[in-house]
Amino acid sequence: MLKYILRRILIFIPTLFVISLIAFVISINAPGDPVENLFAGAKGGEGSSASNAGMTKAKDELRHELGLDLPVFYFTLTSLSEPDTLYLIKDKSHKENLERLINTYGNWEFIQEYYRSLIALRNEALIRTEADSNLLKQITSDSLLIIEDNFAQKCISLLRTQDATEIKSKINALQTECGRFSSLGANNFLERFNSLLSHCENTFAAVESNSSQWKTWIPALRFYGYNQYHRWLFGDGNWLTGNGSEHCHGVLRGDFGVSYATRKPVTETIGRALPWSMSLTAMSVLLAYLISIPIGVQAAAKRGSFFDRSSSVVLFMLYSLPSFFMGTLLLMTFANPDVLSILPANGVGPATGIPEDATLWEKFNMTWPYLVLPLICYTYSSLAFLSRTMRVAMLEISSLDFMRTAQAKGLSSNLIYYKHGLRNALLPIITVFANIFPLAVGGSVILEYLFGIPGMGPEILTAVQTKDYPMIVAVFTLSGFMTLVGYLVADILYAIADPRISYSKS
Amino acid sequence: MSKEEKEIQTVQQPEFSFRKYSWKQFKRNKPAIISLYVLSVFAFVALLAPYIANERPLYAKYKGQTFYPAFTSETNYRFQDPQSSDSINLQLDITDWKRLEYESVFWAPVPWSPTTKDKANRRWVGPGDPQRFITNTGDTLHMPSRFRHRLGTNESGEDVLAGLIHGTRISLSIGFISMGIASIIGLFLGAVAGYFGDNRLQLARGRFYMIILSLPFAWFYAFHVRAYNLTDAMGESGFSFLIALLISIAVFAFVIVLFGTIGRVISKGNFLGKQIYVPLDTIISRGIEILNSIPVMILIISLAAMVKEYSIIYVMVIIGLTSWTGIARFTRAEFLKIRSMDYISAAQVMGFPEKRIIFRHALINGMAPSLVSIAFGIAAAILIESGLSFIGVGLPQDVITWGKLLNQGRENFHAWWLIVFPGLAIFLVVTVYNLIGEGLRDALDPKLKR
Repeated sequence: MLKYILRRILIFIPTLFVISLIAFVISINAPGDPVENLFAGAKGGEGSSASNAGMTKAKDELRHELGLDLPVFYFTLTSLSEPDTLYLIKDKSHKENLERLINTYGNWEFIQEYYRSLIALRNEALIRTEADSNLLKQITSDSLLIIEDNFAQKCISLLRTQDATEIKSKINALQTECGRFSSLGANNFLERFNSLLSHCENTFAAVESNSSQWKTWIPALRFYGYNQYHRWLFGDGNWLTGNGSEHCHGVLRGDFGVSYATRKPVTETIGRALPWSMSLTAMSVLLAYLISIPIGVQAAAKRGSFFDRSSSVVLFMLYSLPSFFMGTLLLMTFANPDVLSILPANGVGPATGIPEDATLWEKFNMTWPYLVLPLICYTYSSLAFLSRTMRVAMLEISSLDFMRTAQAKGLSSNLIYYKHGLRNALLPIITVFANIFPLAVGGSVILEYLFGIPGMGPEILTAVQTKDYPMIVAVFTLSGFMTLVGYLVADILYAIADPRISYSKS
Repeated sequence: MSKEEKEIQTVQQPEFSFRKYSWKQFKRNKPAIISLYVLSVFAFVALLAPYIANERPLYAKYKGQTFYPAFTSETNYRFQDPQSSDSINLQLDITDWKRLEYESVFWAPVPWSPTTKDKANRRWVGPGDPQRFITNTGDTLHMPSRFRHRLGTNESGEDVLAGLIHGTRISLSIGFISMGIASIIGLFLGAVAGYFGDNRLQLARGRFYMIILSLPFAWFYAFHVRAYNLTDAMGESGFSFLIALLISIAVFAFVIVLFGTIGRVISKGNFLGKQIYVPLDTIISRGIEILNSIPVMILIISLAAMVKEYSIIYVMVIIGLTSWTGIARFTRAEFLKIRSMDYISAAQVMGFPEKRIIFRHALINGMAPSLVSIAFGIAAAILIESGLSFIGVGLPQDVITWGKLLNQGRENFHAWWLIVFPGLAIFLVVTVYNLIGEGLRDALDPKLKR
């Protein structure tokens, strides 16, 4: 038995590895740049120049802190045309644009030149518009004010343009704009732009004329040593000892990283939310088993009776009743000033909070009204399913010889069904039990959303909406782990319930 | 008649067909049969939704002209008024149809579209409440009974009944298409895993390695090279994404077949030519286990967040891609039984290719238990979809679904009609599918026949 358990735990490792990989793949393919998203609230885009340098630095630091400046995985499968250093380009929109260009032309050497010329142009535009704004203000012509506003923006937009004709027309437009204003006296300022623009034009022409599209059709494998996944697993210190880790200690040391949305450790958020989901699940499971086993056994014992038929119908209805509909109906009935307002509608405790010095009994008294409706919703659907499973299992058992023997011996029906039958009918019920473990982590997203329970459900929902991928990866991995634990527990319970089941190989 | 002939006849006489037998069993199951009828009513409503609930009349005679506004794809009608000979332009999407003065008119049974905002009846007007109608002259009247909102309105004045009718379409099609995808994957993988097991599929080592080697290449050509075709199609519409995805899958298959053919050529000699077993069952079962250990709801929510904009097709594809494991498991178990049956051995002895044995001989017989799983799966898919739209994930803003209506009711418990009717609709459809599933299970599983 022990050997079997150990072997099962060993199988956990590759499975968890695959699950975390799936979550990782989802997270890197998600649209949007988490760092940009974090800064989006603070300031719009990279256009405004005043705090630009400081902001870029802050962004870089954050990127480093979150490990986003690293390659994604130990290796990537790309095309020959893509360089292995593309991950070093920090801005995700630039990177995507470059990837498009690479996909069209397949000649990184030239595209790199072109990209550099664009960056030079952008930097010049950002610095110039700031430094020369005084100069420009001296020439108080309306048209020059337009330069100040639009010029930098137009230069920057080139970094996000991938279509050849569009690029050319944009460069041309910028050049004509420069030409139009050169007569107005800001020659020095515009000349520099003219040379930069023509450099851009030339480099892009080089990209076009030296296209090596065939390279995009050849696959290439690139290896990276230190990467995001490695960092996620082992932290950013020494991978074996964990020494010298600054920002993250790695999942293997119990650190799920820092949330993109709140900048707080994911472990902290989970630690706060998990107890709610876990305790609700545990309570509802306990309730469901306590109620469903007698119902199932009774229904099977009195097969075809009124109780059997009516409970079948009711349970079937409950089974098909969507829990969010049931929840809304309950809220509408018991937490609605129009009908009955005896139970609170939202949350898990009074809005004012529970006083610090409250005794355990007082705390319980303040909390339980909030838990009644959620518990009913959590319980009823599994209750229906469990009772039905129990009934079928008991029916199958009750026609077996040993049950008939028990009857022939004249045992009471309670003794027959609960002592002799139950243990043998437990197997399907145990199978169901295994499925409950992951629920404790995932929670019931919908029900927790509906009742405003601060469990894992709302956390998952906000994590998905804010693209907070460290959180999502953590939930995936944890619930995968719990599922595996569930299977293992079920297997052990099988062996306990039915001694004939043995996992040793002999 | 000789004795022998008689014997042959008696042997041939009871023409036992499992399909006929199961159908007979199924027909005995009253709730399942009733459910089939109810389901066909739902299907009828779903198919004809635009003609059952539409703000445009089905037929209208207006100023001497005859129109069929509900059936047309035109955007406007231009014609001359016979009396004043003014030119009239009726723009189909913004015309207030109920205030035109028709010579004769035939309305749809529910004269509202799900997205028409009835300004006179905004802010939760119930089925029994007084409803208002504003005439051309600006007078407020009682709503003519023909135009009443039979199941009330929501906050912005949209008709709930019309929303329910159009929501039927979404729910049923989500159930069908996502389970269609799931059953294709599940049946295929389950059949292959069960039929071949771990020690039945023999391949020359060279070919086996070539196929393994082909996987990264297939991925590269199908998804890396075509990445921009896929993302561009995703930006365009759900349908073009589906097409692009199918092309990618075809490319994937093609590369594997190509490498397999090369592998066949190089599989010569002692080492490369040696036949080895492919542990297909282990691979597929492990895959199912892994997929099962990810909570479906979380997986679906995070996948739904990955797409740039919400669309029904993505929801269908996502549900389909994540819910095939049950079907695969049932089919696998069935195939484990079938593969040692006589008729399969007979087919093998006759030298039929494995492909033909699996998909033409065995699959028909092995499909039965997965039918049960598919019926329950449709119910589950509908539940997932309505749950997703209940929490506001996955479906575009302008599509009305049952889950969304139910969620709107949450904002105002006074508006019970927004909670009860959509909830009942979901409940009814889910029950119907569950009953059909139960009926199928009882009919297909002779062990339960008592």
